[in-house]
Amino acid sequence: MDREILRRLELLNQLKLTEAEKEDVLSFFAAREAEHKVLEAIDTANTERMVHVMPIDTVVREDVVVKMFEREDLQAQAPETDEGYWCVPKVME
Amino acid sequence: MKYETVIGLEVHVELATKSKIFCSCSAHSFGADPNDHVCPACCGMPGMLPVVNKRVVDFGMKAGMMLNCDINRVTTFDKKSYYYPDLPAAYQTTQWFAPVAVNGLVEIETSKGKKGIRIKQIHMEEDAGKLVHDIREDTTHVDFNRTSVPLIEIVSQPDLSSAEEVEAYLERLKSLLRYAKVAECEMAHGTMRCDVNLSVRPEGSDKLGVRAEMKNMNSIEAIKRAIDYEVARHIDAIENGTEELRQETRRWDDIKGKSYAMRTKETAGDYRYFPDPNVMPVVIDDEWFDSIKASLPEFPEVKKAKYMELGLSEYDATRLSESIAIAECFEDALSVCGNAKEAANWVISEVTRVLNAKGMSYEMLTLDGKVLGKLINLVLESKVSRANAKKILDAMFEDPELDPIKYAEENDLVMSNDTGLVDKVIAEVIAGDAKAVADFKGGKDKALMALFGKCMKQLKGNVDPATLRTMLIDAINKL
Repeated sequence: MDREILRRLELLNQLKLTEAEKEDVLSFFAAREAEHKVLEAIDTANTERMVHVMPIDTVVREDVVVKMFEREDLQAQAPETDEGYWCVPKVME
Repeated sequence: MKYETVIGLEVHVELATKSKIFCSCSAHSFGADPNDHVCPACCGMPGMLPVVNKRVVDFGMKAGMMLNCDINRVTTFDKKSYYYPDLPAAYQTTQWFAPVAVNGLVEIETSKGKKGIRIKQIHMEEDAGKLVHDIREDTTHVDFNRTSVPLIEIVSQPDLSSAEEVEAYLERLKSLLRYAKVAECEMAHGTMRCDVNLSVRPEGSDKLGVRAEMKNMNSIEAIKRAIDYEVARHIDAIENGTEELRQETRRWDDIKGKSYAMRTKETAGDYRYFPDPNVMPVVIDDEWFDSIKASLPEFPEVKKAKYMELGLSEYDATRLSESIAIAECFEDALSVCGNAKEAANWVISEVTRVLNAKGMSYEMLTLDGKVLGKLINLVLESKVSRANAKKILDAMFEDPELDPIKYAEENDLVMSNDTGLVDKVIAEVIAGDAKAVADFKGGKDKALMALFGKCMKQLKGNVDPATLRTMLIDAINKL
């Protein structure tokens, strides 16, 4: 983590950090990088990749159509709708 | 200086499932009202939990096998972050770390011969929604019906070098995926979409040029035009310094015949991929893998070779094997009539004629090939004339349940064995057109056709043309 990466992350996440907040983030990540270096020292060559934290896999469903919700219910709390559409501030095409 | 073009393609294909990839909403929203096929999961509402549609994995594997890929037996889903109103969760659930299929190879054939195009990977992912910008000036309208419709993205290595090769590659993908019945692959319907990554470099150089990604091409012809334009733009920039080439995403405007810069090209880091904790890994065991392997169709080349062994010409065999719908129709018809040449002629000429007249593609064919075989038998047994059989075929397209024998009987289309009736009609026609009879006797062969036509009309086509001709000439000669 350096100031250039942090600048890009600010941009991507639409954030504007103060100088003090930037220092906090940089020191936080510096500490994590140090911890990471310790972990990197472990030999994992023969360790199977962990793909998920839960010991569950292959949760699948059959390809069946079920209509469970009505549009009006889903849009009940929308700030604005029009003719069945959700409305958002104008965006570029 | 001579240049070479380096092209890699990212092809999105909508899978032909009934429901969406992570929820049970219908994946087919053509003609539906906006947001009629949505639920909390595909609307990205907090607390929703996606559950993988098994058929999407089936189809992903099948596509991978058709493109000679290795299948990842543990395949996982990841979040790809981007913020835009067509993606309600602000991330797309896709596959980054362990896509369903990798390291494939597709063989194409162009005027320069055969070439292998390497496939980097095929990953399963959800589609985004649709934004409508022109209903009101002050807002954008959002329709999530398409959100979470299942896609596969087929990523090629940069092995393509011309518009001709790109066309051959896309046609090959379409053919293979349609054969496997995993997708419609119709660019005009948006069920196949293609982004082109292109760069230009001096011929022989091993260093890649500046890459542009082009989007918004809605047909193979548009893709070819976009490639030609972009190659010329790159060469002009390199040779004449007309502009500084940048790694960017460009939008193709097919009406203006130009591409426009949309944004600088994102890198993987920009998307902040990370494993989706809500979607469990999918483990493909041997039983599942083998069942998909066993369900693969014969490849088009195998069918073509089989058809040629039946005595068909290479042209006929190619036409019949270019679409799985046509191939199956032919094979079903053949299984009933047992005459390969006759079945091939009916499928290639007549079935295609009706499809063209109706503006239908091969994939829209619903005709039962076995019923077509019954119709062919009626012709071969001289029970129905060829002309009337074509009328019955037209009716079969309107009514898939139609029985050709019953239809022929009910509509007076059965060939007459009543030679007495034919003699009577011939006598009447000859008596009513003395001039044509005299002309024919005087050596004008065309006059016979006029008489023949009148007889055939009166007999409603229900007579063997060769028999009628012979009987007509005999009758005139006896005068």
